[in-house]
This record gives sequence, structure tokens and C-alpha cells, in this order.
Amino acid sequence: MALTLPAPPPRWLEDLSSGPVTTKTKQSFPDPLGYQVASRQQKSSSNKMIAQPRKQPTAEEMDTLKLKKAWELALAPAKQLPMNAIGMYMTGNSLQIFSIMMVFMLFKGPIQAVLNIQNTFQRLETDTNRQQMLAVKAAFVGCNLLALALGIWKVNGMGLLPTTRSDWLAWESAREPLERAYFVPT
Amino acid sequence: MRASNRANAHIMLSTLLTAASLFLVPALAVFADEAWNVDYHFALLGAPKEETSFFHQPNPSSRASLIYTLSEQHALGAVNPRDGSLVWRQLLSSDGVAYRTSFLRAGEGQDVVISGIGHEVAAWSAADGRLVWTLSTDGPLEDVEILELSDGKETAGAKDAVALSSGANPTVQRIDGASGAVKWQFNIDGSDAPYQLSASSTQIFAILLHKTILGYVKLRVVVLDPVTGHKVDEYSLNSENELSTTENIVSVGANSASPMIAWTDSLYTTLKVNVVGTKSIQSFDIAAHDDSPIEHVKVHAPYHVNSLSHFLVHYQTAASHWADVFHINLKNGKVEKAYSLPKLAGRGAFSTSTSDANVYFTRVTRDEITTVSSASHGVLGRWSLNTFGVAAGIGEQVEPIHAASEVSVKGDTVSAIRTTILLSTGDWVMLRDGKGIWNRPEMLASTMVVTFALPADAATLVQQLEVEAHSNPVAAYIHRVQRHLSDLQRLPSIIVSLPQQIVKGFLGTSADDLTASDTFGFRQIIVCATRGGRLVALDAGSPDKIVWNVNVADLQPGQSREPFLASRIAGVVEVSSRAGAGIQYNATNGQPLAERLPVVPEGPQVPSSQVVLYTMHDGTLEASFNRTPAWAFTPMHGERIIDMVPRPVNDPVASIGKVLGDRRVLYKYLDSNIALLVTAQDSMGTANVYVLSTVSGAIIYSNVHTGVDLTIPIASIMSENWFAYSFTNEASDEASKGHQLVVGELFESLVPDDRGMMGATTNFSGMQTATEPFALTQTYQIPEVISKLAVTRTRQGITSRQLLAVLPDSNGIVGIPYGAVDPRRPVNRDPTKDEQAEGLVRYTAVLEFDPKWFLNHQREIVGVKNVFTSPALIESTSLVFAYGLDIFGTRLSPSFSFDILGKDFNKLQMLATVAALAVATFIVAPLVMRKQVDQRWRFL
Repeated sequence: MALTLPAPPPRWLEDLSSGPVTTKTKQSFPDPLGYQVASRQQKSSSNKMIAQPRKQPTAEEMDTLKLKKAWELALAPAKQLPMNAIGMYMTGNSLQIFSIMMVFMLFKGPIQAVLNIQNTFQRLETDTNRQQMLAVKAAFVGCNLLALALGIWKVNGMGLLPTTRSDWLAWESAREPLERAYFVPT
Repeated sequence: MRASNRANAHIMLSTLLTAASLFLVPALAVFADEAWNVDYHFALLGAPKEETSFFHQPNPSSRASLIYTLSEQHALGAVNPRDGSLVWRQLLSSDGVAYRTSFLRAGEGQDVVISGIGHEVAAWSAADGRLVWTLSTDGPLEDVEILELSDGKETAGAKDAVALSSGANPTVQRIDGASGAVKWQFNIDGSDAPYQLSASSTQIFAILLHKTILGYVKLRVVVLDPVTGHKVDEYSLNSENELSTTENIVSVGANSASPMIAWTDSLYTTLKVNVVGTKSIQSFDIAAHDDSPIEHVKVHAPYHVNSLSHFLVHYQTAASHWADVFHINLKNGKVEKAYSLPKLAGRGAFSTSTSDANVYFTRVTRDEITTVSSASHGVLGRWSLNTFGVAAGIGEQVEPIHAASEVSVKGDTVSAIRTTILLSTGDWVMLRDGKGIWNRPEMLASTMVVTFALPADAATLVQQLEVEAHSNPVAAYIHRVQRHLSDLQRLPSIIVSLPQQIVKGFLGTSADDLTASDTFGFRQIIVCATRGGRLVALDAGSPDKIVWNVNVADLQPGQSREPFLASRIAGVVEVSSRAGAGIQYNATNGQPLAERLPVVPEGPQVPSSQVVLYTMHDGTLEASFNRTPAWAFTPMHGERIIDMVPRPVNDPVASIGKVLGDRRVLYKYLDSNIALLVTAQDSMGTANVYVLSTVSGAIIYSNVHTGVDLTIPIASIMSENWFAYSFTNEASDEASKGHQLVVGELFESLVPDDRGMMGATTNFSGMQTATEPFALTQTYQIPEVISKLAVTRTRQGITSRQLLAVLPDSNGIVGIPYGAVDPRRPVNRDPTKDEQAEGLVRYTAVLEFDPKWFLNHQREIVGVKNVFTSPALIESTSLVFAYGLDIFGTRLSPSFSFDILGKDFNKLQMLATVAALAVATFIVAPLVMRKQVDQRWRFL
């Protein structure tokens, strides 16, 4: 209707000029071309003053590092076991929504982990350490199986495993008598 | 349009009223929603006897009267004539002893009624039935009368009674009406049998029977002075060669102004009348009115001293009846025939009522009631009867058997008349001015056996479903389509009733929707066979009405029968008086079935050669196999069999083992062929309990109890793999008198997870393999006698059991949960965790009956002889029917109603919640939609 104010600069322009405030902690993918994070620039410039430029590790060193990292990953489920065990113990053997959900999570975690085992170790696997990685994967599977065993122990404690005679009682039938006796009132 | 509006308004109003009443219903009991609702109770007296049923004013100052009766079941009671409800009731013989005679008298203007039965004369407060006094006589009572003296010496209070007793020392006693003390006693000498008492206002007459050498009976009259009790006179009546039996003595007139004795010869050709006090005998010829011979002659005379001395003689033949009215001239003792009442077809009943000195006779026939004065034959009142309003067999003529009336006369007409009539169907009805007011189904008080049957329409559905289940899929499908097509014919009527059903569905609950289809099996037909030879059917769903009532056996008086009832085919009831084929009736309408349906035996099919039949014969159990004797159980010398309870033929068991707390299994000893046998040894006071294998006759469990009081009933029951019995042990040095309940359970092995000797074999022969169960028993001290035990039955046996115990002393029935008497309750220690998981609690020797276990709530259920249980169609529920004197029925859910919504389920609330959620969804949905769209357009 009337003379309008000059339009504010578009949002994208603001974003471009100010840059993201938060720093991403996880750097799983490379930065785009030409993008430089201000803080890193500062850090690297300050580091430059103190430390020597870092030497690129050799392939063997890289393998060892990756193997170390892989072992760490593989043993991680085992480290969670005591906590899980305590949690399971605390929830009791009664059939409640809380304990049932916890048991469900307990089963879901290891099974999913085992199914995604290739993805988990893909980054750390190279042509040269493939042999060692087999042992690592086996350990990973073993640890997850331990977690599963914990779940089974728990389910057994809750009485959900058909391990006793009473669980199969419905399939047992009474013995049929070959003769029948009838009382004849006089 | 207006009509529909009004209907809508009506529905809305009723909705509001129902909703309001939902909030107003107070909590009366623990199961307040079920008491008086699922259960029903008929407080019965039994068939009233003619001599002991009358109207009487309990309060002399008020004109309101009650109907008093002492019935054939020896129940004394007062019934409110307005609605037929029971005012009070006393059972004079609880132990089932049948007395030949019983008496009930009420003096005019007295507030007590005096009963005489067996050896006991008792006075009861007429208004509330409290015992005033009681007196035992040495010999059995022959007659009880109330003295209506006019000598002026009588006090204004209670009138005295006179009792005549026979036995070794026949006596006449005058009993003080206020205290029950004997005022004087006269011993009758000689060997003549006392027969009856009669009293005039100045003298007491004891009538004795003297047997002559030729076998005839001679009447001897002893005249006593009522004040001193001395003999005044004695004479014999010249009745030789006429009276051969006492049955021909028609009447010994009681307290009328001039008592008289009437008798006939055995062919009913002449009537002889003697006015007591004189020696003259007058004879009247009995004219034959039709071809059929006279069946009986009855005299109806007023009971009051100051009434006119008129009497009516009622002649009954098989086809018709008539009556003559006689007058007694008090001055010269002459009896004159005044007039006759004409012959009418069918049976008739006459009753006498008095008003001041006037005497009125009321005649009840099939189709009318007439009242005449004793003075002249003019009809003072006539009321025609269309129907007595009772259920009877099709084509059956309902006849009056006897009647009692109360008339009020204004001028020359009867202004109001109330008549109670016992009908040939066994109903006791009340008519006011010829209109039915109430009816009491007193024939049910003599119920002997009972069975439950599915209604015929439900049964046809069950049969059709069975057809579908047993044919091949294609045929079954065609059959089903055809069935549904034929069901379509009912569609219009369903559509008409649909709105009503929807309203009901909204407001009611599933449990009380009994009017439509019976999906739960609560509306079973209960068929009772009575001692009078009738079959009476009740609907367990709406028990207020008798569904049908048919005569199945023409019984002579005094003849007894022992019928058996069974419903082997759904919808069909079979009556037999001996084991074997009987007569079959349609369960819904009581029609005899012409064509014989094949009898399908219950339970698993067994080749007929493999059937062992056993029977009780001369105190021993005898079994035959292939018509050759198989085994016999003969009690030891001096031992007698009290009771034998076989395991029910159709006794489904859901689980063959008991799951323990640690999830192991104790296997039950499940054998269809076992029976519990209780015997008594009277000389030693011991009771023996045996569990028999009824195929081989082997005793698989036995127990002996010493010091048992064998006069008190021993109740026993057997079901599944357990048995229970109760007895009373006598006081001894180490134990006091007490009642005990023993529960025993049989297992294949006491080791968990072990199936005993036979292991997992699928079948076994009781004759070839002898197995013995392992029994666990536990004894509980109970507070009172149990006269009968029963157990709840459900369709598949999944539901836990309740032990139903009849308590005769507190007039109740308790349902004891099986868990409370489980023999596996740990003794002298607390239960372990596993046992707790099973629900076992520590054993305590004393078992108190929890007030919540009483099925009868506040009601008094008197004289229950047996309890019959039947499964409903849903698993949780068992139908219970107790009979004896009273009729009581209820539904039980021992494991609570897990498969049906209870009354506490609020349908309205549920529907409101669903509606509220739906509305909320509709309102919120666009809001959420807008928010989502907005969010999409917003930059991060």
C-alpha cells in the first residue's frame, strides 16, 4: 500500500556471513571445498606455534591403530554387561511393562549389533588386517552373545522359557480307561 | 409423530431414571449387585393339609387374619393372605421322620396356635411364630383339641388344650394354655386304641376303637369332666358289622356345639351319624348319582362352640360330586337332612366358615365358587372361574383338592370372599372374589430328584452345530448357508426389537441380558420330579414362573415312587422309575416325545462289552461285567453302607496335574471309575471310608474314624481326583464333641514330574493293572454339621472348584473354595515361597465359615435335602439348585467371572470415553495439520 521498508537481507545471506555457531563434534565426513571453520583455524594457528607439524602415520601404524580401535569397539558390549545385569536384577522377575520393555531392549541391542557387524567394522577394516579383524569380530559376536545370554537368563528367571514339565502339561493327556463302570440305582 | 415423540420422551425418561438409580443403589453386601438378583428362593411349606389349614386372626383385637397351615412336610407356618408371603415358619420334624398324623388348632380369639406332632404338643405365638411352651407326651399323639368351655370358670387368657396320646399308657391330658403345665391326666384303661378327642362346651369325649373278635371295629366313648378329669360315663356304640376299618370313619366332629361321629359302610351305601353323648345312631341312605362308585365321603362342620350345629357331607366320585347339609337338633339330638347341593362334574372342595353363629359353606369346583348359608340352600354369592392361573399339562383339568375360606357377609349377600385352594397341580392358590391373587408352588417342597436341561431351541442349535462339525467342509458350508437363510425369516422381528435392544445394551450389562438369546447358558430348564408324581419345570433365568407342570405318574395315596431324571440329549428330559429306558419329554414345553431319539451315552464311547454295571443290593455293592458277577463289596458283620458316591460320569478335568510353585507337576490320579463309600459300624461307633475302583472292586484307599456319632448325618462327595466327607465325633476323654471335614486328594505319585507306575501309557485296563494312588488327606474342625455336600461343575473343568455344604442348623449353604481345604496346606510351618505362589497357606485345624461364603445371604433356606449343580455354557459359571423343603438357586463363579463382563462394568462410561476421544481427535486433527504445515515453511 504504502512505501515499504527495504527488505531485510535473505536468511541464507545472513547464515553465510555469520557461519554456524556450534561446532560439530563428530567429523565423520569431510568438510565441503573451500569451507574453513574459524575456530579450527585459530586452534591450528596456535598449535603451529608450539608443536611440529604432525607426521602422517605409516600404513602399519594405521593398521595397528585401527585394530586397537576395533578391539575397543568389540569389547564395548562386554563392558555394558555388569550394568545391564544390575539393571535386570533390579527390575525383578515379575511380569510388568517396565521389566518386559527392558528385556526387549536387552534382546534387541545384541541382535541388531550382530546384524550390523559389517557396517560397524567397515571403516576399520583394511586388506592387510583382515585376518586379525576376524578375531575381533568373533569377540564382538561373543560379547553380544553374552548380553543375549543375560537376556535369556532374565527371561528364564521370569518363567517365560518352557523348560519345565508344567510347560508341556497341556500336551499330555489323561489315560483313557478301557472299561467304564456305571452305577445302576435300584 | 406425536406418538413417537412420546415414546422417545419415555425412553429418555427411563434412561434418566435408570441413570439416577445407578447412583442411588446402596452397597448392601459384599456382592450387593448379585444378591437377590442372580439367586432365587421359594420359602415353601409343603402341601397344606385340609384339617390343619385355616384362617385365623393372630391379634384378637384386629380383624386382619393370616392363613395357618401345618403341611404334609411337617412345616408349620403363617402365610399373609394379601401376597402369599411367608410370615413365619417352624419346621416341626427336621430329621425327615414322617408322622402319620399332625394337628394344628387355634382357639377363637386366641393369639397362639397349638400344634401336635409325634410326642410333642407346642404352642406358638400366632403373630411371630415364637415358641410359647412345649410339652412331651409319653406316647404318640392321637389328637389335640382346644377346650372351649362355657362354664364361666375359664380365665380370660389362654384357653387350655386337651391331648390324647396312645402307646403303652394311653392318656388324656389337660394342658394349661398359658404355661403348658399338665392340669390333670386321665389314664385310659383297657387295650382299646385311642382314636380321637371331641369336646363340647361341658364335656370331653375320648373315642376309642375296640376290636371285636370278628375283626370289626366298635367305637367306645369315654366321657370326662373337663374340670376334674374324672370319668363321668362310658359307653359303646352299636356299630358292629359295619365298621371294618378306621378308614370308614368319616368324621369325629370336634369342638362344634354338638360333636358327632359319622361313619359309612365299606361300599358307601349308608351314612351313620351319632351325636356324641347320645347312644342313638341315625342312618341315611347315600343315593347314587352316577355310575362311578363313591371314592370318599367327607364331613365339613364348623369348629366353634357357639356356631350353629349344622354340617355338610361331601360325596365324591371319579366323575362328579354333590353334598348334603344336615342340621342337628340340640334339644333331642336328632339329625335331619336340610337340603342338598346339586351334582356337579369334576372334583369339588368345600370349606366351612363362620360369622358369629352363622355357618357358611363355600363350594369350589373347576369353574365356579359358590357360597351358601347352612340354614338354607339359597346361593349367597357366586363367582365364575376361568382359570386358576397355574401351569398344567395340555388337556389336563385342574381340580381343587381342598379349600379354606374367609367370608364377610353383609345382609344376605357375601360381600367379599377369600379362598385358598390346593389344586391338583400341587399349587396353593388364593382367590379373592374368584380372582387369583397369588399362588405358591408348594409341590416343589416335595421335590425328589432334579435335572437341568437345555431349552429345546438352544438344543437344536447345538445339534446343528454338531452336524456341521462332523460333516465335510463343503457339506458343512452348505448346511450353514441354509441355516442362515432359514434364520433370515426371523429378521423382521429382530429389526422390530432392535431399538429396544440397543437401548438395553447401552444401559444394561451383558450379564443381565437374559431376555434375548441365551449365549451364556443361564436359562436352563430345571425339571423337578415331585413325590406326587408330577414333573415341574422352572427356568433358571427367570425362576418366578413355573414353565410347565405335568402329571407323569398316577399314584394311589400312600404309594411312593423313586423316579430318576436325566437329560442325556440336549432339550430332552427322560423320566424313569427304574434304570433303563424311560419316558422322554420336551424340555421347553413338557410335551411327551412320541418318537424315540437315540440315546447318546455321555462321555467317551466305550464298547458295550466293556461296561461294568454295579448296583446296591441288600446292603452290598454288586457289580456285573458281561452279565456275569464281577465283584461285590460286602460290608463286615455289623457294618452298613451309609453312602456311596461315584465320581460323576461327566466330570471334565482341564489339567491332569497340579503345577507346583517351582513349575514342576504333581500328577493327579484321574480314574473315571472310582467311588467313595462310607460305612458305619454302629456297635463300635466307627465310620469307615473307602475309595473303590469300580471296575475291579479293589479298595484303593481306606480310612477309619473311631468315636463317631452315627446319629448325625455323614455327608460325602467325590469329584476329579479328590473326595471330602464330614462327620461328628463323640466327646471322649481326649477330645470334645466336634464336627470334622476331611478332604483327601489322590495323586499318581507324590514325587513331582513323575507319572507313577504306568508312566505315559495312553490307556489302561482297571482289571488288569492294579494301581494305587498316593493320597494326601487333611482334617478340619468345622463349626457345625454338614448334612449334604456338593461341588460346583463347569463346562471344561478349568475353573477352580467350590465345595457346597448344606448347613441344617443355620439354614444355609456355604461355598467353601477348594483352596481353603486343600490337603497340601503345609502343617506346622509357614509356606515356602513356592507354596505361596500356589496359594497355599499354613494349615490351621479350625476352619471357620467365612460369612462371605454363605450363598444364601440373609435368607433362611430350610430343609435342604440335596444340591444339584450344572455347568453353564460359559466356563466361569456353575448353576446351583438346592431343593428339599425350600427351593434355592443361584449362579456361582468360583474363579470369578473371567469370561463375562460383570455388573460393575460401566458401559456408559466406556462409550463416553470412546466418544470423547473421537471428538477430541476431530477437534485436534486440523490444529495439528496446520502446525505441521507451518513447521514445514519455517526456516531452521
